Amino acid sequence: METTDTDKMLKSFFDEQKQKVEDNGFSQRTLRNLPEQTDRTWIVWVFALIGVIIATAIAINTGLIVQTLQLLQHIPVYYWLGGVFCFPLVGGIGFYFAQSRTYRLV
Amino acid sequence: MSNTDDIRWVAQVALLGDKGAFDKLTCKYQSSIRRFFLNLTMGDGPLSDDLAQETFIKAYLNITSFKGISGFSTWLYRIAYNVFYDSARARKHYDDIDEKEIDGQQHTLSEFSAEKMDIYKALKMLRKEEQTAVLLFYMEDKTHKEVAKIMDCPLGTAKTYILKGKEKLSVYLTNAGYGNN
Repeated sequence: METTDTDKMLKSFFDEQKQKVEDNGFSQRTLRNLPEQTDRTWIVWVFALIGVIIATAIAINTGLIVQTLQLLQHIPVYYWLGGVFCFPLVGGIGFYFAQSRTYRLV
Repeated sequence: MSNTDDIRWVAQVALLGDKGAFDKLTCKYQSSIRRFFLNLTMGDGPLSDDLAQETFIKAYLNITSFKGISGFSTWLYRIAYNVFYDSARARKHYDDIDEKEIDGQQHTLSEFSAEKMDIYKALKMLRKEEQTAVLLFYMEDKTHKEVAKIMDCPLGTAKTYILKGKEKLSVYLTNAGYGNN
């Protein structure tokens, strides 16, 4: 028998035997049995705080905040209303895509 | 579910100790790792689940040693391979396993017993290294290079294991009538 034929036969044999093993709570049991480790999510908040402080300092020093506030005074009230009403729509679309991505991952 | 997702989840686990991210990795790979163990243990479900759980716990504890050079899947199989052979040595499962024990194990698994008899009979004809290499190559779709990495052996050796396993299996399957279709 040719090597390629043998390969095909073996591939077909193993494909026939290949089954998806259902989770049946395995992942949950594994998660429960994971040893406790120090929660390091505080690192995210520390870096976020540092970022906010730096951004605020730059904005104050360059006069960006004053300029922005002056600019906002010139925006008509209808634009503000439009922006406010658009927010749930944009947020909803974003949420929909985030959710569908989560389902795909799991 | 790409390798980018794997890297992201690994980073979340390594940097933040995020168990949720590790749960996603477990959900993604539990089926293939448990199937790999089921075939190596000739269908012993409880033992396979224990070994799989040990594999994931070891992966969680040593996740910072994952460098991302090979894929996460290859790294996980490498741990699984070590866990299996450590366990086999400890239980003397490696060479001393006898026919009665295998039959007993197979009877404990209703969902895998009947259909899996052929593959277990076929795999029993191979040496353990050949079994592992053949399973990784044909069942788990790993490349020669990945098989060598997982088994921590030179590429040529991995190819030899696969070739020898292939030769033995082709004789068995041809005699069993698989090649006649």
